Amino acid sequence: MQIVVDLNRCQAYAQCAFLAPQVFELHGEEALMFTPTVPDDQHEHVRRAAAACPVQAILVGERAGP
Amino acid sequence: MSPETLYQRITDYANRANPYPLYAELRENGVTRQADGSYLVGTYHEIAALLHDPRISSDSRNRADPSTVPMFRRNSQQAFIGLDDPEHDRLRRIAMRPFGPPHSPGRIDALRADITRISDGLIDEFRDKDRIDVVEDFAYPLPVTVICRLLGVPHEDMPQLRAWTNAVIAGVDVTPGKDEESRQRAGQDARAAMGEYMGDLSDKRRENPSDDMLSALVHDSGPDGRLTRAELMATGTLLLIAGHETTVNLITNGALTFLRFPDAYRLLRDKPELMPRAVEELLRYEPPVHLLPQRTPLADVEISDVTVPKGAPLILVLAAGNRDPLRFDDPDHFDPTREDNQHFGFGSGVHNCFGAPLARVEAQIALNALVPRLEDFQLSEDPPPYRRSPILRGPRHLPIERVG
Repeated sequence: MQIVVDLNRCQAYAQCAFLAPQVFELHGEEALMFTPTVPDDQHEHVRRAAAACPVQAILVGERAGP
Repeated sequence: MSPETLYQRITDYANRANPYPLYAELRENGVTRQADGSYLVGTYHEIAALLHDPRISSDSRNRADPSTVPMFRRNSQQAFIGLDDPEHDRLRRIAMRPFGPPHSPGRIDALRADITRISDGLIDEFRDKDRIDVVEDFAYPLPVTVICRLLGVPHEDMPQLRAWTNAVIAGVDVTPGKDEESRQRAGQDARAAMGEYMGDLSDKRRENPSDDMLSALVHDSGPDGRLTRAELMATGTLLLIAGHETTVNLITNGALTFLRFPDAYRLLRDKPELMPRAVEELLRYEPPVHLLPQRTPLADVEISDVTVPKGAPLILVLAAGNRDPLRFDDPDHFDPTREDNQHFGFGSGVHNCFGAPLARVEAQIALNALVPRLEDFQLSEDPPPYRRSPILRGPRHLPIERVG
């Protein structure tokens, strides 16, 4: 699983950092860091985080590449 | 009927079970001035703009007519929900440190196992029953137990806290009725008692810390400093009440909606991994908070060709925005697979729901656990009896019974 976050949309509501804290991390109160290649045991967490994003900025792809 | 009476009709208890036709009428009419001088907004894009507009205050003490300011706001420390920046930001930031990222990123995720266990335990208790009240047997005890555990409130104090909570909620109710002043007074007394309770509990946690959020809050010292005792009382009361009241509605509305729409029910029964999106759709379709009655413009504000004057009560009907056909395709359809679902279930902007991640985790776990149990059940009555409040709207009871 691969993720991309549209940082132009991101408004730091931080729902992803609550719901998948191993993948999404806030540095300071606004800067978002994330792991683009999601470890297998975090797929469910990432799906929950993507569904919860209030500005729908998280794109989830099940495999790398086009 | 006259658009001037819309707010009166929306708050009328007779329309509690189905306010949605009134919301459609509100969207048709655009921004509507009510007979009492307040303004109602129910269209999505206008609500979104207002929720992000710094000229719109959340502190109703900015109202021109003091009689429209609720009693409890007049003379005590306010919680951040009723304050503006920078004070709102300071208090919310301090409260966030022991609750979520960046300082406590794992606290909510770490509650998942507890929430699952509490939820499964409640379901076990009604395994063999043929009649269940989803509210009393499940949707109420789950979030109450969770918020007590999170904050560190002893569970045995819950009956007293429930009585205070009910009085506080009744005190902010805007349903027309003759007993308004006594309700407001009782609500204020309950709020004061609950504040003292939270203040005393904080003192205890200062002496004897535990691993709960209140202990972390009283021992924390970040760049913004610590909360004063008065701020702790107001913040603790807000977190305790808001931390469970709304989640009860969310879980109950989930059970109600799944039983009303068998196709959606079967989909979620067969694909539990869809539940996170289904919860977002519930937050759009049947949100726990229907309207925000406390906003006030700090200057004259133009909203779609209507000037809302400085100091006028401005009421944002979030649940009407959630069904706006200019924003959502087929808005009256409950679609658990809906894409592009930027609902107002948790508001938006700087006041967006503080507890949203906890509510999401609780509702996802609770409803995934409940769905298989609903298999042979039907609603005993539809619509169910509703609670009085048009703001925190949800069923008072949700009786369901085994089929056949």
